[in-house]
Amino acid sequence: MSDGRFIDEEHGILAGEASHQRVRQSQDFPLTPRDETYPHTPTVVESDPTYYDKPVIKQAVWIWSVPAYLYVGGAGGAAMTLGAMAQVAGGWHLRPLVHRCRWIGATGGALSSILLVYDLGRPERFVYMLRVFRPTSPMSIGSWVLTFFGASAGAAAVFSRSGGFLGAVGDMAGLAGGFFGMPLAGYTSVLLSNSAIPVWQEARRSMPFLFIGSAISAAAAILNLFPLRKREARAVSTFAVLGGLLEIAGAAGVERETGAVPQVGRPLNHGVPGTIWKAAKILSTGGLILSMVPKKSRTMRRITGVLGTLGSLCVRFAVFHAGKQSAADPRATFRQQRARLS
Amino acid sequence: MPKGFFTDTTVCIGCKACEVACKQWNQLPDDGMQFTGMSYDNTGHLGGSTWRHVSFIERPVPMGGADTAGMAWLMMSDVCKHCQRAGCLENCPTGAIIRTEFDTVYVQPDICNGCGYCVVGCPFGVIDRLHDDGRAWKCTLCYDRLKENMEPACAKACPTDSILFGEIEDLHVKARERVELLHERGVKEAYLYGADASSQPGTEGLNAFFLLTDKPEVYNLPPDPIAPAKKAREAWTSAGLASLGLLIAAAGAVLGSRR
Repeated sequence: MSDGRFIDEEHGILAGEASHQRVRQSQDFPLTPRDETYPHTPTVVESDPTYYDKPVIKQAVWIWSVPAYLYVGGAGGAAMTLGAMAQVAGGWHLRPLVHRCRWIGATGGALSSILLVYDLGRPERFVYMLRVFRPTSPMSIGSWVLTFFGASAGAAAVFSRSGGFLGAVGDMAGLAGGFFGMPLAGYTSVLLSNSAIPVWQEARRSMPFLFIGSAISAAAAILNLFPLRKREARAVSTFAVLGGLLEIAGAAGVERETGAVPQVGRPLNHGVPGTIWKAAKILSTGGLILSMVPKKSRTMRRITGVLGTLGSLCVRFAVFHAGKQSAADPRATFRQQRARLS
Repeated sequence: MPKGFFTDTTVCIGCKACEVACKQWNQLPDDGMQFTGMSYDNTGHLGGSTWRHVSFIERPVPMGGADTAGMAWLMMSDVCKHCQRAGCLENCPTGAIIRTEFDTVYVQPDICNGCGYCVVGCPFGVIDRLHDDGRAWKCTLCYDRLKENMEPACAKACPTDSILFGEIEDLHVKARERVELLHERGVKEAYLYGADASSQPGTEGLNAFFLLTDKPEVYNLPPDPIAPAKKAREAWTSAGLASLGLLIAAAGAVLGSRR
């Protein structure tokens, strides 16, 4: 009766298309006028029209767990790929590194699923992600990649110290996990750019390099927080340097691509996302410089690891929030599309 | 048979009967009483529980061929466009969003798990996830009524036939005739928005298209909307190359550690 539909159930049946929408009780609705009303005389400005400065497109409804997943999934994927490579070409010297990478991959896979399910509007239906395979949807592709990745990384980690048949199964799973780690570390950038959000859409060519670079940095940073033998430390340092270079090149590419139309690139220079983006660049550069120092002490490696972790986290949160801001700005959408038309 | 809407904004009187009819037929909840200060528009925008929205634009430029004291009041009843290439449908990972036998785009509420990917996929900002419900909702083009051979509630309620419902091909003919008539009468600025793939390649045409008399931006419509998947190839190519970069970095790290 009082749920906002104002239908008296004695006289009406709830049978419409939206009749099973879960809604709040009507007393919860704000019945007082909003504080924020459109502040000007409602007249359209001819030169630069918008509809009362209202957004054209909708903001992403995603919460913090999505950028957190971008980081966790990326780190897990890159670690698994490094682990598989060390398994194949590293010999027994790097065997402890292989095990560590597998556990990082398995933990990343499990944590990723939890973060993603947590963000769903109907978490109990998470398994519907595997109802279909839709090649036009990066999220559908990603769901399958994460499923195979999680299963193989999990098996690889559990059997990492087994011998005989189970050890062989673990090694096979390690290779599979390394294979699926590559798309896992990169598809999230396609997921974001495959949207109507101007800043994400315009960054579509460079964002994969930023995200994979950031994923490598993140994986190397986590490894740097653990005790490593000399040869392992050398491998991790090289991984961190290469990842850091890719990350910084990717960030420059994103700035260049989104900067072509100033209103589109604006969120990366202004406000909260702009600040996080600046912090990301400083932290990642710091991490890269420290990674280049040869023969680091344990403490130095830990500092490098902390910088790399924070840098990678900041990259993901900056890109995520830049997208939210971009969606709220109608001029970003209009100018992006007008630039395309002219 | 493809069905859709042709919304002729030149005869819209802003009565909002379409909004009310939509809410009532579909049993949608209200959105609270809010004063926006935006002319007579206190609805704001389309959303999960608002499937028709009448926008009001007070424009200090008269309509072509009309004597309206230097002003023109533009009104438009906005709705889901049921695109030929629908960003929401192409992004949906669960298969909840489908194309019906009427060529419309429909969200199956019993499948949707509320991932929110359709929300960012729509270039028109139509579909939204409801906070209280957790699922994504939008205009169904009255799927239940179409199945009973009835026209959608909004079109039925429209007193000026600004909202015309019918088979897409018939609507195209009517719309072109209407534009010609308006041009003859001096409303030179009249044009069709999203009628077909040639005028709007990004969506390959809308099953709910419009007759407008000003730039799309004035009505809060994007000038060149595009289904995001149409641009995905470049992104996937980069992702492939970057993944190769990951493989090379891993190889470099492992091989470089031998010394």
